[in-house]
Amino acid sequence: MTTRTPIYEARNISKSYGSVDALVGVNLKIHAGEVVGLVGDNGAGKSTLVKCLSGAHQPTSGQMFLDGQEVSWKTPHEAIEAGIETLYQESGLAPDLSVSSNVFLGREETVRGPLGRLGFLAQKSMDKKAHEDLERVGIAVPASNRAVSQLSGGQRQAVAIGRAVSWASKIIILDEPTNHLGARQAGEVLNIIERVKSEGFGVIFISHTLPHVLQVTDRVAVLRLGRLVVDKPTSEFNSETLLGTITGLIGE
Amino acid sequence: MEKAKFDVKGLLRNQQVILLLVLLAMAAFFTSQNSIFLTNAVFGNIISDWVPLVLIAIGETYVIISGGIDLSVGSAVGLSGIIAAFSMRYFTAHNVADNLSLFLGLLVSIAIGMVVGLINGFLITRAKMVPFVSTLVTLGAARGLCIVLTSGGPIADGPSNTISLSVPRVGPFSYPGIGVLVLVVILGLFMHKARFGRYTFAIGSNAFAARSAGINVNRHLMKVYLLSGALAGIAGMYFYLRLGVGSPTSGQSGELNAIAAVVIGGASLSGGVGKLLGTAMGSLILVTVTSGLIIIGVAANWNQVVVAILIAAAVFSQGLRTLGKKNK
Repeated sequence: MTTRTPIYEARNISKSYGSVDALVGVNLKIHAGEVVGLVGDNGAGKSTLVKCLSGAHQPTSGQMFLDGQEVSWKTPHEAIEAGIETLYQESGLAPDLSVSSNVFLGREETVRGPLGRLGFLAQKSMDKKAHEDLERVGIAVPASNRAVSQLSGGQRQAVAIGRAVSWASKIIILDEPTNHLGARQAGEVLNIIERVKSEGFGVIFISHTLPHVLQVTDRVAVLRLGRLVVDKPTSEFNSETLLGTITGLIGE
Repeated sequence: MEKAKFDVKGLLRNQQVILLLVLLAMAAFFTSQNSIFLTNAVFGNIISDWVPLVLIAIGETYVIISGGIDLSVGSAVGLSGIIAAFSMRYFTAHNVADNLSLFLGLLVSIAIGMVVGLINGFLITRAKMVPFVSTLVTLGAARGLCIVLTSGGPIADGPSNTISLSVPRVGPFSYPGIGVLVLVVILGLFMHKARFGRYTFAIGSNAFAARSAGINVNRHLMKVYLLSGALAGIAGMYFYLRLGVGSPTSGQSGELNAIAAVVIGGASLSGGVGKLLGTAMGSLILVTVTSGLIIIGVAANWNQVVVAILIAAAVFSQGLRTLGKKNK
């Protein structure tokens, strides 16, 4: 295992909801240019860990470090500002808005001058930049001014990932990004993840689809009942051993 | 050289073009039945009816696009007009000049409308009540207050000669009507060209996505309901100018007409979709139907039937267009 400083690290993270311990003392490191698979059965604590890492929830105890500096997020916006983008399992896109409006949502560019101070948008510039940003990560969308509701499921997911990639500077967290996609569309999404990795981002990839996890990740962390039971290189797993580790049939 | 194609099908898919055609067809029909319809006096009357409706309908459009509904706008019109009337009576009794008194009355009216909007916003974003119930609460409370405060009668003795302000001066438009027209254009630009409108659409389309993008959804919704209340306040003052008194029945059922105008204008009640130009035209169609039916001598109750048919047609055509887009 590499000894360089992780770009993002969770140290001894616990999270309780009343008397229920959703996470217990979880440690996780993500390095630049590395894809870490986060797997586990339903209720294992994957989504809770994602929410803590992305600022949607605050851990009950434990520490988080970004580039070696201790951080804590009060809101998701603080994590976003620090360079951590999250693509949630629920759709993170507004279907009635255009592709570029979604890519720039929350960070709109305004025109210069007094109208800009009133919040008037530089739409043409955003359309152009959104198209360029999506193209950079290999996402082909018919037109960036097209409504997201008119795109296919795969195209929507690609736009959502493209949006995260456009704005992330350090970490991208992808919660079930290949869910509900056909084989070809899922393949496209996995290609995008490879490209994102090569650009030096740290990626956390959460999925139930084990072949995808084995294909795209460098390391796999397995959660079971809120505890991290295994964290080792993907090359040490195959489908059977990974499934066995998740279900507990194979010991840690 | 490639010939420019005139896309008739594309035009007919545009809600605003359909609304314009409906409006023209209605004008042609009413004129054919009674030529008096095509006079400046009738147009002036239609515009006078349109001004308060379009004000509350614009507020309603913002609210509906954000995924909510505001049932309180009609009552807010009444309450703000009443309180403004009381305050202007006080100013007049204390020898405040008429113009200043009217200006202060407008401010009071807007402030009262915003108080109603603030309560709606608080109930929705803090008390987590659904918009339908929250605004139903303020609808009842505000309308009840109108009756309690006035004992059901008009509030007079304010600035003199206010009715002259609502007389058409430029074509069918009175001076306040021109002011409202300018306001409609400005609010349309804010809806479709500025960040405020973008956030409103985003929240109505997917509040989770808006929140994940760092938008403060609760704060924005509060602003939307405040805007709706403020516009109801301006409408309340407009009614005062038109009647010359504060009437406790002003704006009664206004919320239903506003929602009808928004739906006819092409907005989706599930949020995220709508156009301010559509709402402006939808409200113009509603007041034109009312005036037209009166002019051709049809019993007033038929108005509601025609409006119901228009709403059904608008929702049906919206469904067809959505289906068309999905099948593309």
